[in-house]
Amino acid sequence: MDCAVANANSHAAGDDVVSGSSAKPAKLIIDTDPGIDDSMAILMAFQTPELEILGLTTTFGNVTTEDATRNALILCEIAGCPDVPVAEGSPEPLKGGMPRVADFIHGTDGMGNIFLSPPKAKKCDKKASEFLVDKVSEYPGEVSILALGPLTNLALAIKRDSSFASKVKNIVVLGGAFFALGNVNPAAEANIYGDPEAADVVFTSGANIVVVGINITTQVKMTDDDMIELRQSKGKYAQLLSGMCKFYRDWHVKSDGVHGIFLHDPVSFVALVRPDLFTFKKGVVRVETQGVCMGHTLMDQGLKRWNASNPWTGYSPVSVAWTVKVDEVLSYIKKLLMKP
Amino acid sequence: MAAEPKKIIIDTDPGIDDAMAIFLALRSPEVEVIGLTTIYGNVYTTLATRNALHLLEIAGRTDIPVAEGSHVTITQGTKLRIADFVHGADGLGNQNFPPPKGNPIEQSAVDFLIEQANLYRGKVTVVALGPLTNIALAIQQDPAFVKNIGQIVLLGGAFAVNGNVNPAAEANIFGDPDAADVVFTSGADIVAVGINVTHQVVMTDADREKLALSNGKFAQYLCKILDVYFSYHHEAYCTRGVYLHDPTALLVAVNPSLFTYTEGVVRVQTSGITRGLTLLYNKQKRFEEITEWSDKPTVKVAVTVDAPTVVKLLMDRLMNS
Repeated sequence: MDCAVANANSHAAGDDVVSGSSAKPAKLIIDTDPGIDDSMAILMAFQTPELEILGLTTTFGNVTTEDATRNALILCEIAGCPDVPVAEGSPEPLKGGMPRVADFIHGTDGMGNIFLSPPKAKKCDKKASEFLVDKVSEYPGEVSILALGPLTNLALAIKRDSSFASKVKNIVVLGGAFFALGNVNPAAEANIYGDPEAADVVFTSGANIVVVGINITTQVKMTDDDMIELRQSKGKYAQLLSGMCKFYRDWHVKSDGVHGIFLHDPVSFVALVRPDLFTFKKGVVRVETQGVCMGHTLMDQGLKRWNASNPWTGYSPVSVAWTVKVDEVLSYIKKLLMKP
Repeated sequence: MAAEPKKIIIDTDPGIDDAMAIFLALRSPEVEVIGLTTIYGNVYTTLATRNALHLLEIAGRTDIPVAEGSHVTITQGTKLRIADFVHGADGLGNQNFPPPKGNPIEQSAVDFLIEQANLYRGKVTVVALGPLTNIALAIQQDPAFVKNIGQIVLLGGAFAVNGNVNPAAEANIFGDPDAADVVFTSGADIVAVGINVTHQVVMTDADREKLALSNGKFAQYLCKILDVYFSYHHEAYCTRGVYLHDPTALLVAVNPSLFTYTEGVVRVQTSGITRGLTLLYNKQKRFEEITEWSDKPTVKVAVTVDAPTVVKLLMDRLMNS
């Protein structure tokens, strides 16, 4: 072929955090709305010695931001790391207004209605966006962010510091539904729907971004049998997580007819530490912020040379997870969850 | 002998692939073309009317009426996207054909559609090959239209793939997204054929050479106008062939068994950066909350196509003309 329509395929996105040769632990901040599958991903991160968790920042989504902060503090204590800072994020999306909270999926406490005792530690004094900016400036090019909820805090960090996008090592986002149905409505996935404006700011920021949509995460299910295996294991957090997952599992049966659970957040965590278990395509992603398709993520696959400029023109491409080695990702997750 | 041919009205903006579809329809014994209605898209409506009359004269079928359609979108929009860079300034490959001798009928496209649907209740299929303004206006002007019309086969949308105007939108839907949403949610019997399907149906350079070697009247004519269309595809898609959008959609009316379909609710985004996006909900998943797709009538959406048979059918019928 003599004309060059951009070839957008790439097989790995960013560096492999865990299996890299460097002995120095990789720095990570998790932006999160725990959340049952968030809790799994966070505890998996704490079980990964190759990672240095600089802090958790909280957002709304599965619960309110306030409850997310409480749950994040609880999780740090459970992990034996009560000193890991938890910076509270925005209580509402960029455009304001009460956020949509998915308590029907995660229970009123966000942890499957197991109602753990309140944490002893306190949240840190900084706001999430401030914390993100400070850490990324302190360690330019070294900090990874795993974003598991709506992207308000990251958008605020990008707006606060124009060098944030270039200084952050990479951002792995759980969000969107690429050429697939959403989970809030046919057009939109919950995290993006939670703050479409913020998501569009992040995706068009020029940062090194990897997006894992529900078209990928819903391929990786923990079945009822896997859950029994987890409960019977000596995993450090196996009992806790088994308890949390009951509520989550029952919702999946009702909503999707799935006897088991989708591992949205854990899969995104694996995309950060083991990108070799995925393939990625590069393309510009924009988010619709109005109308019936509000929250829809739309990627330009680069299959056509456009006749005129359009809203996708001129932005940096991001890496969109395209395929996943389902069995290997599942076994990686199970291994970490069953790790004593 | 087979059943009585299906009455079809082709709503069209000729257009090179529209010309192919019209000729294919005239060579298909399964259907009887009872009229052409015109619309903007590949060209402005005035030129679409002129081209429709011209194509019928080429075919020796001046008995078929041409009714001129809307010049503006359903929201009275006049800033139209015209794809002259795909089809040539004249819509027919810059051949500068002499003007047609005939004229369109007095009736507007909308009135013609309403009248014919009422005259042959449940028997008329509209094959819509351009933006859906005329069809939406017919639906709005006559509450009985969706019941009277047999079926609406429409070429439009990009289902779970990138569009062709921009990453979100396909050209026909982008031309009048508000009209498209009216049509998709009208409750009429609708089959939508998107570019996710028509991009599978390609006429190659070799096919074109075969057309050129045949003595078919339509084949000869089309070979003259196809240059512009081939050049555009080579430039935009890096392909050695052209997509057969309109003839493929027409074949849904001729032989629906060449396709498979799914059924669901389609909504069209009418604002924002994804204006013109078609989003199909085929009810595979339940949602906790009421959505903009809830309680809306379903339509059929083509999913797969027997592409080799479609190309062969088109080639055979054009060469044998």
